[in-house]
Amino acid sequence: MSDATKGPVQLAARNLTRHFSVRTPGRLLNARRVVRAVDDVSLDLVAGEVVAVVGESGSGKSVLARMLARIVTPTSGDLVLQGTPIAIKSKRTLAYASQVQLVLQDPFASMNPVHRMSHNLLRPLRIHGASKADAPALAEAALRRVSLEPPSRFLESYPHELSGGQLQRVSIARALCIEPKVLLADEPISMLDVSVRLGVLNLLRGLCDDDRLAILYITHDIASARYIADSIIVMYAGQIVEQSRGTSLVDEPKHPYTQLLVASVPDPSDPTRDVPPTGEHAQIAVAEKGCRFNPRCPHVMDRCREEEPPAFVVGENHTSKCWLYADHEAAVEVALSTRRREGETATT
Amino acid sequence: MTTDSMGVDDVVATEVPPGALPTTTYGPIVATTHGDAAMGERILDVRNFSVDYGWGENAVRAVDDVDVHLDRSTVLGIAGESGSGKSTLVYAITRLLRAPGVIRGGEARFNLGTDDEGEHIIDLVNASERELRGVRWSSISIVLQSALSALNPVVRVGSQFEQVLKSHRKDMSKDQRRSRAAALLAMVGLDEDRLDRYPHELSGGQRQRIMIALALTLDPQLVIMDEPTTALDVVTQREIIGELFELRAQLGFAMIFITHDLSLLTELADEIVVMYAGALVERASARELYEAPRHPYSLGLLNSFPPMHGERTELTGIPGSPPDLAHLPTGCSFHPRCPYAMARCTNETPPLVEIKGSDRSVACWLHVGDAGVAVPVELSRVATGTKKFDPATEVAR
Amino acid sequence: MRSLRIPRSPKVIIGLSILGFFVFLMIFGPYLAPFSPDNTSFAPLLTPSMHHWFGTTSLGQDIFSQTLVGARATMVVAGVAGLVATMLSIIVGISAGYIGGFTDDGLSLMSNVFLALPGLPLLIVIDSYLPVDSRSNSLVIGLIISLTGWAWGARVLRAQTMSLRNRDFVESSRIIGEKRIRIMFTEVAPNLLPILAASLLFTILYSIGAYVTLAYIGLTSTSVWNWGTMLFWAQSNNAPLSGEWYWFVPPGICIALVGTSLALLNFGIDEFINPRLRAGGLSGRQRRRLGMPRRQRLGLTPVVRSVTTAPRIAVQTEYSVTP
Repeated sequence: MSDATKGPVQLAARNLTRHFSVRTPGRLLNARRVVRAVDDVSLDLVAGEVVAVVGESGSGKSVLARMLARIVTPTSGDLVLQGTPIAIKSKRTLAYASQVQLVLQDPFASMNPVHRMSHNLLRPLRIHGASKADAPALAEAALRRVSLEPPSRFLESYPHELSGGQLQRVSIARALCIEPKVLLADEPISMLDVSVRLGVLNLLRGLCDDDRLAILYITHDIASARYIADSIIVMYAGQIVEQSRGTSLVDEPKHPYTQLLVASVPDPSDPTRDVPPTGEHAQIAVAEKGCRFNPRCPHVMDRCREEEPPAFVVGENHTSKCWLYADHEAAVEVALSTRRREGETATT
Repeated sequence: MTTDSMGVDDVVATEVPPGALPTTTYGPIVATTHGDAAMGERILDVRNFSVDYGWGENAVRAVDDVDVHLDRSTVLGIAGESGSGKSTLVYAITRLLRAPGVIRGGEARFNLGTDDEGEHIIDLVNASERELRGVRWSSISIVLQSALSALNPVVRVGSQFEQVLKSHRKDMSKDQRRSRAAALLAMVGLDEDRLDRYPHELSGGQRQRIMIALALTLDPQLVIMDEPTTALDVVTQREIIGELFELRAQLGFAMIFITHDLSLLTELADEIVVMYAGALVERASARELYEAPRHPYSLGLLNSFPPMHGERTELTGIPGSPPDLAHLPTGCSFHPRCPYAMARCTNETPPLVEIKGSDRSVACWLHVGDAGVAVPVELSRVATGTKKFDPATEVAR
Repeated sequence: MRSLRIPRSPKVIIGLSILGFFVFLMIFGPYLAPFSPDNTSFAPLLTPSMHHWFGTTSLGQDIFSQTLVGARATMVVAGVAGLVATMLSIIVGISAGYIGGFTDDGLSLMSNVFLALPGLPLLIVIDSYLPVDSRSNSLVIGLIISLTGWAWGARVLRAQTMSLRNRDFVESSRIIGEKRIRIMFTEVAPNLLPILAASLLFTILYSIGAYVTLAYIGLTSTSVWNWGTMLFWAQSNNAPLSGEWYWFVPPGICIALVGTSLALLNFGIDEFINPRLRAGGLSGRQRRRLGMPRRQRLGLTPVVRSVTTAPRIAVQTEYSVTP
């Protein structure tokens, strides 16, 4: 896909970084350590596209989503909403909230047990300026958008009367009813029953295709990312280690961590595949110096322990932060430009 | 909705703290007098098992007339969503299900092994508290999903092993107990120094490994795994499963593995039963279930996992939501969500019947064999695959 | 609201009936009293009889009438003090717990100070500075008692709020842009309802005790009849020593009964918050009939084979999500 067909960038993040200071257990009283929860992450959320962020717990993907929603303040970095730079240290405005909405992981916990669904939908509408008379109709329309029929039946329900899938749909409707341009979904299906997960994924894809929403889909399930996303980002220890447009990241993973992640997914269709060593037993899972994956990496070199790798181009619209590809970059560049030239001559 | 979670959470953790275990290793075991009492290779045989939550008018049937069985050293997978009764079933079999759970019928015969006097068989449903104490942990042990809530947070890991060994292996000295605990940790790939840690100082994967090691402390014949890896990352999950199968190859225990992740199950189980709304809907070998599911629900579940390769196509999953156990649909519980539902499905409940010429069963009117019902091609495929994944040999160490 | 479904356990029913009876006395007691409580025209120290149900005082006043009339002041003061103290604890507790930081530090310091101060001596000091005419005003007394009774509730509510503030539904409200004050009082507060109710009962109980004590040691106006002043007069006339039990027993029993009813209601709330206390909803008799052990053993699921089986309720699903 070339840049020409891309929609407008709704939300751009540049070098977003968030550090937490934590006390080290079992050390001297005041021993504090800085955890780089998110480190130098840049991404574009484009209208009509789903960007998936894949990572295990602790990779910083949820903190990233909360920084994009501006309920966590970044340590440094920039946010640009529809071309307008945002002062990241200032208080989040209602206008920002109306454009960027976040759906949380656990649909059971994210609904107040004492309120009916109508409260969950009418409050955002009223906060963002809908009149008392218009709000109910807008709430019903939002429920229809997430395929909850008849809406009146759901508006009257309490959270304990609905299933997880239905609650997650209400949760999405709550985010959608104020017509945001960007939807951030933090593991929206991981707490749902297997049989209803695809329904929610298809709903998100539909919102993206039909309503031109820019969607950030955060997950630990790389198969679902492959299913739904236009581009995929893999995070490890707060950093983007590999990203690609399309599915090439899953089909031909380049970074050793991505390779491990892909091979670890249960895949009954290929039961004899090779799974690389997981390195889970490494004493330190995250290196302080060099490549953060180096203690667990089966291909680790001296260089990896000293220098942090930059992102190397490893394929078309596919980059990987791994020294293995340092020398390949030039070769790949040449191959790609040749292919592009061939493509051009073929079309002309 | 999620009736099966009522009272099931951290059952083992709160009710059988290691220190509270009895000192007898074997209670007086009653040999049953059934005509077909001999169990041979079969280690667990559960028949017509039903469990309710609540009594009288408020009763909700969570497990309905279920038969399951497994042989020594085999792995039985139980697949199902929340509310399917999969956890309720195994907690009730071990009699650890909390109020308001009540067993309403059936038997669960457990084969303790054979010696000179013949087979020792115990029906867990009729067993006394004392007999059960003798069986739990030493013969049947459980690993729960949340290791954090199952491990005592204020007791060092080593002491938790110590307590189990102290009450069950009275002849062991302190040094022997310590070295046994260290050996158990080594089996799950952890260093001995973890014994001096508190549970909160360990990662999720390490805690789950300790749960597995604790479950194996007394060399049980059957280990029940209730979603042991659901809370973990795929990478850690992969490694723990690999270790688990290495241990099984080494120690020869049988396993019941409960999960909602059917694709994980098809990789690791020998036989799989699929539960829906408290009933068994299909039983088949793992390979057959994966390649040739017979029940529309099994097919739907398999199609609910996006594939890792091939063209991206839109998948539909299963429409609708899992049913509320207190308000089950008439006839086949699955019919409102079933793309193949017929008139008959709305008012008659299909029985679980064996498919002719195979050792698999399905509860679906499509397969009853009546004339005039054409079985859709996707539900009548023939399993071809012979290769079976063996994580123990696949995971390079 | 579903969370207001009160369990119909015997404890709650008995508690509500007793409390209802005294609320009735609070409203109608003065009209039902056969005589004026100040009427001294009867013979002194009559024992209970048909004419004077609870007998008379050494001044010849009808004790039954005093008990009925005294219910109002006692209950009003307790109610006012309980309500005001609970309001204070809601405002202080939820603000401290939700906002955190310096606000929390300040408010927590304040409530800790009030907790540490001994309530009764403080009351006595404040009360002795009051102008005499406001000592007969139930509202003023109630407000003063509430000043010493809010701190405990505030601490409990603060702790609960702190555990709620990081829950996902509160974060969801923040994400949609809800204002802080609304999150505190429409999202957090309704979830504290059972604790609020328990705290209200507790402060009412405390207030009755405090008011009766103040009156008993003679620090409220003796012109207002309440159960405490009755005890004050009985004590100062040596009633307990001279065997005039009918003088101090009626107000004492009334105080004990109100206290019991509040405690019973509190048990009901506890059972409501923690369903496990409801013992699986089965009475001992029901258990015996089903052939189950009277007490549920932990780690031993009961087996009940005999009774009617399989209530697999069959209904059509009303609606479904369109795929």
